[in-house]
Amino acid sequence: MAKSKRFFMYLFLSIAAIVSIFPFLWMVVSSTNKSVDVTRGRLLPGTHLLDNFQKLLDTTDLQLSLINSAKISITTTLLALLIASLAGYGFEVFRSRSKDIVFNILLLSMMIPFAALMIPLYRMFGKISNVFPWMGIDTMTSVILPTVTTAFLIFFFRQSTKMFPKELLEAGRMDGLSELGIFLRIYLPTMKTTYAAGAIITFMSSWNNYLWPLIVLQTPQTKTMPLLISTLGSGYAPDYGMIMIAIVIGTIPTALVFFVMQKQFVAGMIGSVK
Amino acid sequence: MKKGIALLLICLLMLTACSSNSNSNSGSKNTGNAAADTGTAGNPATTEPAQAKEITIWAWDPAFNIAALEVAKAEYAKTNPDVKINIVEYAQNDIIQKLNTGLNSGTTKGLPNIVLIEDYRSQSFLQSYKDSFYDLSSSIKGSDFADYKAGPTSLDGKQYGIPFDSGVTGLYVRTDYLEQAGYKLADLQDIDWNKYIEIGKAVKEKTGKALITLDPNDLGLIRMMIQSAGEWYLKEDGKTPNIAGNAPLKEAFEIYKGLTDSNVANVHADWSQFVAALNSGDVASVPTGNWITPSITAEASQSGKWAIAPLPKLTANESVHASNLGGSSWYVMNVDGKETAADFMAKTFGSNVEMYQKLLTDIGVIGTFKAAAGGEAYGQANEFFGGQKVVSDFAAWTEQIPSVNYGINTYAIEDILIVEMQNYLNGKDIDSVLSDAQAQAESQIK
Amino acid sequence: MKKTNSSVSIRTKSVLTGWSFVLLAVILIFVFYFYPMLQALILSFQTGTGSNLTFTGFDNYSRLLSDKTFITSVKNTFIYLLVQVPLMIVLALFISVLLNDSKLKFKGFFRTAIFLPCVTSLVAYSVVFKYLFAGNGLVNTMLLKLQLVSAPIEWITDPFWAKITIIIAITWRWTGYNMIFYLSALQNIDNSIYEAARIDGASASRQFFGITVPLLKPIILFTSITSTIGTLQLFDEVMNITKGGPGNATQTISQYIYNLSFKYSADFGYAATVSYSIVIMIALLSVIQFKVAGDKNG
Repeated sequence: MAKSKRFFMYLFLSIAAIVSIFPFLWMVVSSTNKSVDVTRGRLLPGTHLLDNFQKLLDTTDLQLSLINSAKISITTTLLALLIASLAGYGFEVFRSRSKDIVFNILLLSMMIPFAALMIPLYRMFGKISNVFPWMGIDTMTSVILPTVTTAFLIFFFRQSTKMFPKELLEAGRMDGLSELGIFLRIYLPTMKTTYAAGAIITFMSSWNNYLWPLIVLQTPQTKTMPLLISTLGSGYAPDYGMIMIAIVIGTIPTALVFFVMQKQFVAGMIGSVK
Repeated sequence: MKKGIALLLICLLMLTACSSNSNSNSGSKNTGNAAADTGTAGNPATTEPAQAKEITIWAWDPAFNIAALEVAKAEYAKTNPDVKINIVEYAQNDIIQKLNTGLNSGTTKGLPNIVLIEDYRSQSFLQSYKDSFYDLSSSIKGSDFADYKAGPTSLDGKQYGIPFDSGVTGLYVRTDYLEQAGYKLADLQDIDWNKYIEIGKAVKEKTGKALITLDPNDLGLIRMMIQSAGEWYLKEDGKTPNIAGNAPLKEAFEIYKGLTDSNVANVHADWSQFVAALNSGDVASVPTGNWITPSITAEASQSGKWAIAPLPKLTANESVHASNLGGSSWYVMNVDGKETAADFMAKTFGSNVEMYQKLLTDIGVIGTFKAAAGGEAYGQANEFFGGQKVVSDFAAWTEQIPSVNYGINTYAIEDILIVEMQNYLNGKDIDSVLSDAQAQAESQIK
Repeated sequence: MKKTNSSVSIRTKSVLTGWSFVLLAVILIFVFYFYPMLQALILSFQTGTGSNLTFTGFDNYSRLLSDKTFITSVKNTFIYLLVQVPLMIVLALFISVLLNDSKLKFKGFFRTAIFLPCVTSLVAYSVVFKYLFAGNGLVNTMLLKLQLVSAPIEWITDPFWAKITIIIAITWRWTGYNMIFYLSALQNIDNSIYEAARIDGASASRQFFGITVPLLKPIILFTSITSTIGTLQLFDEVMNITKGGPGNATQTISQYIYNLSFKYSADFGYAATVSYSIVIMIALLSVIQFKVAGDKNG
């Protein structure tokens, strides 16, 4: 019986994996085909990979966009994890009635669609531009600032902290560690998998962020990857082969971060077995 | 675990290394720009001439309007080498979002000097943000361009836009399928849409191919039909919905239903499927704008199998064999550098006949500048289309396009009609379809 | 007396330390969310195209109630919410428990594969979905070959099936994403709890409902709230796969906001009003979810 259960487990996971991977594979295959074949849904690899790549390099500044996106996403991720985990920890460990109220107010910020905040935010950065040009419109700072703190991530860290064994805190206090020391030396290493999940999620949403960078970035020098890809798709006769290779390249960093970060899951598991 | 962290750290270090490198570059660039900007904002009187001699243009298609801009830029540089022209490429929807946000927030920072806007949308921008656009009446003459372009590009008698490409339509057909069904290209020169459906049935019977492919979310076909009869979704004032009692619109709806009912129409859901349907030979014809040509000729194996017939016409309202789909025009924004921008436009797209020849031969742009609608390039035979003089045909049709006022609500009304079209296809009575749409449009549009 | 005194000062100190942990986040959220939100609220009482705005009181709000497109969008959004969110959460939970099995082979492969959809670019996946679910696409071809259907299903152009397609698309894209949260939480659970249960002879399903679900409750609550919010603001999938069609059969509230702001003549005032209708709905639903989950810690 256990054996057949195993079998169905693998079968189920395999089907889920194939269904999940298929569009990704199709994308990779399409990047090797010419535009006409992509629109026909050709499933076999073609020979146009280098052509498509060359065209992409000729028509866009790929390297610049990759670097722009990397700068923004890495900075956002590191800052976001720090800010949100401090806050999530603070809200849960130092619970008080007033903090709970503040926390619930913060949650409200998740509820409004970004489209509604766009105009006021743009106005705000327009004004900032006149005083502090380095953080005004068309700067990296203007992309990062409104997206770096999310109630979502604070909420996530707080919920995860609920499962954090409180005895460890007491032990830390007994050892005479400062509150920040407890956070850095005990909480942070224990919650590795939480940080890994947070990093994956934040990096991904920052890397793929489209609407706000589109509005606030103005010059070709600041263009990010999603903006570059979006530009390729318009026009009367888009080249789908070229678009596909751009998309594949644009997906690699997020996939890579996931690969690297998932080691943290494995590490976390070994830790718990031990 | 250690390995994982180490790997990640290395990645981070590498990325920050290259980023800090370019950071200093772009950083200095940014502050340079910003300093110049705050300078002019703080004291407009001392605007240095050097500042005004740099202009930025937004457009969206590297193979089409951006390529045209590059030609114009090179032409202009011959006489004005001191002007720096930055061409920035965004997707069309992205331009609309940026323009709307920028104009609405009241800060002119970040706006371009010249922007390309689709004709269907231009009035909504001009009327909503009139002061943000620069009156070009003294630089160009609206009457130099195809008549139908006057509506979208002017407001209150002032010329704001420089008309660019023609969206003149034609009926692209597969002559090989036609012949199998017993028709020749000559049979299609003067037909109405009912005859078109009839031909479609014969084609379907003989070849098994569909006559046309339709996107249920895009009523481009309806728009072509009603403009060929000189009507639009809105009355001539550009504001009052014109749906119930609009005879061409009613006939267009009936033809649309005729196409689906007689089983000669395929369905597609987006642009790539549309292009795929043409390239794979699944459909025998496509009535659309001339800008589809490069997408059709991309499938080289079909060379010689296509031809372009005049657009079929409606029976109502003296409909003609010419209409428009899409097409766009240039607009100069009312920001620093507007004089330079206007001068650039006037000397290139506003007057340069030779440049238009180059645009046609090099890029395939069929312009709307009347004086340029002749010459060698226009008379050339196109081998892909069986030696047809495609461009001179399109140029002749461009002159016949009836002029209508697209107004400010084309897309809002179209979305209402798309829903009602579904109801109509499912059996709702045509008159109540149109009167319901009229009622909803009136309540929604203020 | 002395004792209370010193305990008061310790408490003040601990209160201060607590606030200093959360201060930065609170400031940033107030500046970059609540200030613009307030401005949007003001905007929602104004009307006019473009920048010519005038105050109209509650006109925009009463317009909402008679706006057919808005009502259809709300209905559609709730259909997605009621069908898709529970489906996805159960699926994600199930997969993450399977993947957490210490004896499972190829764990890394399965995990990566199932997570891949949410890193795949939206553009790519919408093109793929449209191709897969087209009238003559791969899905129909397979269904016909297996003789599960007699005629091709109109996945994208039929009002009912288009909704199903959207639900499949969201589930496909976001199941792996939610799985990551469950996995990260599962890894934090001490394995010895399960070992103890196994020694006591608890079956797998008993372990699942007796240990896993209660321990994961905070995270399940978290994902169900964020998924609810995500669905109520659903935009990307619909915009890219069906554009809200056929007609407005798949249109969502967020897409309507987008249309009001950018597709039609820009009416930012009314768009802000529609946005606030989402805020109100989300706030109500979140309260209900907290109550249902019975999480007194909130």
